[in-house]
Amino acid sequence: MAPQALDWRSPLRRAPLLLFLLVYTVVSGGPFLWVAIMSVRTTPEIFASPYALPSRFHWEKFVDAWTRSNYGTYFWNSIIVVVTAVALLTIIGAMVAHCLARYRFPGDRLIRFVILSGMILPPQLLILSLFQILLEYHLYNTLSGLILVYVAGHLAMTVYILEGFFAQIPQDLFDAAKMDGYGDFEIFWRITLPIGVPALFTTVTLNFIILWNEFLYAVVLLTEDDKRTLPLGIMHFMGSHQLDVGMVATGLMIAIGPVIILYALFSDTMIKGMTAGAVR
Amino acid sequence: MAEVAIERLSKRYPRSSEAAVKEVSLTVADGEFMVLLGPSGCGKSTVLRMIAGLEPITAGTVAIDGKVVNEVPAKARDIAMVFQSYALYPHMDVFDNLAFGLRRRGVPTGEIERRVGLAAAKLGLSPFLRRKPHALSGGQRQRVALGRAIVRDPKVFLFDEPLSNLDAALRVSTRNELIRQQQEIGTTTIYVTHDQVEAMTMGHRICIMDKGEVVQIGKPLAVYRDPATTFVARFLGNPPMNLVPVELSHEDGGAAARLCATGIALRQWSQRTLAGHRTLLLGIRPEDLHEDRREAGAGSDADRLVPLPVRVAAVEPLGAETLLVLTLDGLSAEVIARIGRDTRLRAGDRATIWLDTAAIHLFDPGTTRAIPRDL
Ligand SMILES: Nc1ncnc2c1ncn2[C@@H]1O[C@H](COP(=O)(O)OP(=O)(O)OP(=O)(O)O)[C@@H](O)[C@H]1O
Ligand SMILES: [Mg+2]
Repeated sequence: MAPQALDWRSPLRRAPLLLFLLVYTVVSGGPFLWVAIMSVRTTPEIFASPYALPSRFHWEKFVDAWTRSNYGTYFWNSIIVVVTAVALLTIIGAMVAHCLARYRFPGDRLIRFVILSGMILPPQLLILSLFQILLEYHLYNTLSGLILVYVAGHLAMTVYILEGFFAQIPQDLFDAAKMDGYGDFEIFWRITLPIGVPALFTTVTLNFIILWNEFLYAVVLLTEDDKRTLPLGIMHFMGSHQLDVGMVATGLMIAIGPVIILYALFSDTMIKGMTAGAVR
Repeated sequence: MAEVAIERLSKRYPRSSEAAVKEVSLTVADGEFMVLLGPSGCGKSTVLRMIAGLEPITAGTVAIDGKVVNEVPAKARDIAMVFQSYALYPHMDVFDNLAFGLRRRGVPTGEIERRVGLAAAKLGLSPFLRRKPHALSGGQRQRVALGRAIVRDPKVFLFDEPLSNLDAALRVSTRNELIRQQQEIGTTTIYVTHDQVEAMTMGHRICIMDKGEVVQIGKPLAVYRDPATTFVARFLGNPPMNLVPVELSHEDGGAAARLCATGIALRQWSQRTLAGHRTLLLGIRPEDLHEDRREAGAGSDADRLVPLPVRVAAVEPLGAETLLVLTLDGLSAEVIARIGRDTRLRAGDRATIWLDTAAIHLFDPGTTRAIPRDL
């Protein structure tokens, strides 16, 4: 009796949920699809009819975008900046999170508070002082300067996510490793890191996506054209006189490629990392 | 091979008002199997973790082979510990779990394989060497945890309730396995449990703790026979020892206890010992109350047994034996007797139960300490 009742009611019950998912997908996926379509259409075609499907696929626009402007340089700059920043964030963030999650020491709560309060400061607030500091240390308009700013800016969130996960690893595992003869750093390296892989994937992916698209700091802290990162490069197509909509769309599609690849690779582990509770 | 000696060991956790362990002194001889027994929260794990080096020591010393190791970090003490949660490394397969400690000590690869193979064979883990812990049953995990300690061939084994997550049958077989292992290897072992059957069957000696203090240390049967306090008397034994208040009367022949109108001669205590006392707690184990005079055993002199008029409140047949819950006139507490399974007594019956005076214990109600027999 009960299962039957469930049988006919469950699709009905699920309907609102399905409707919500549908709307959400259309709202978030629609613009993306639109840009994707525009990326293989020329600007005159787009101006003639903005929402039309491509009459012919202009794949050559991708080559164009890469060769006509400095796109190769921007792409490479972005790779250097983001990969280095994410690597540093992951290592430093994991170490900080491990310490905060595992050790009690005088002032531990204060340190946690100071680090995590970095999350609530809006970036616009810091930009002037950062500008001044970078200038003084001759890091203004350098990729290393931008990397440092990115690491500092995203450490709080990274520590926050990782500490939450690390704190759930049972203390007995660390004690067992100590009894097996391992020191503090080895325990971090051989126990915390491997068990924390899902959480690490989460922060790697999140940091990568956010930093890959970061615009504000990049535009203020980098001025020379061949230091610029991708989000600035796309601005290039927006020229000072006219907007080359077709090329902007193509540039966007190139820019978003690595993010999609990363997400496709890691999303499974990442979801696990966000939801995983117990380790055993 | 090592002797572990702890001296006036104390522990107070930060941000807690009372000490978790108070001045515990205990020496475990080389090759001895010592059991720490006590109710939940009495500080057994804390003592074990201080010996292991996992918990800073507030006061007192831990010495291994005569050398104080208070400041030696856990990794350098050469002690192996089996945790209640097993604490298997979830990202390593069984082989790596067993080999982890050996690798750190720079044992050559060939030797690691030999030792792990040996331990795995001994514990029946050979088919699972390439499995991760999550793909093992509870019993298998427990054996991996055990194997991890054994392969290291440490100076001392520490066990923190290693069997408490197993079901009853597995617990018995693993217990026997552990006893055999320890006899074979002969490594000094400290074993924490709150299961008295484990304590009685495994320990060469047991150390009973209560509220952070050691109450009594001794051979299992000796402690069972001569509990030092009412706490030990009630903690060891199932059902626990009956404790009833009695009035003392001093007569010319010797002291006697008056239990609900029945006089019980106290022949094992001298007048002098009992002189200062008016009331005492009389302890008698359930198996020392008999339904039948003859049951008390052949050759026992008849006047050892004293009849008690009782009313049967409940009968609990356990199979091999039967428990009687008894009330005595003028006594508020109930008394438990453990008798043969063939009893005809039913709830509500009036009956006579025979008390074996040779098995009486006396406790001072003020200090709760036992009054030692001296005759
Ligand atoms: N990390 C800690 N911080 C504060 N108090 C603690 C801590 N660990 C244990 N305690 C307290 O110390 C006392 C002894 O704890 P312990 O774990 O040694 O007991 P136990 O005898 O092992 O009990 P169980 O049989 O339940 O394992 C308890 O009162 C407990 O609340
Ligand atoms: Mg414990």
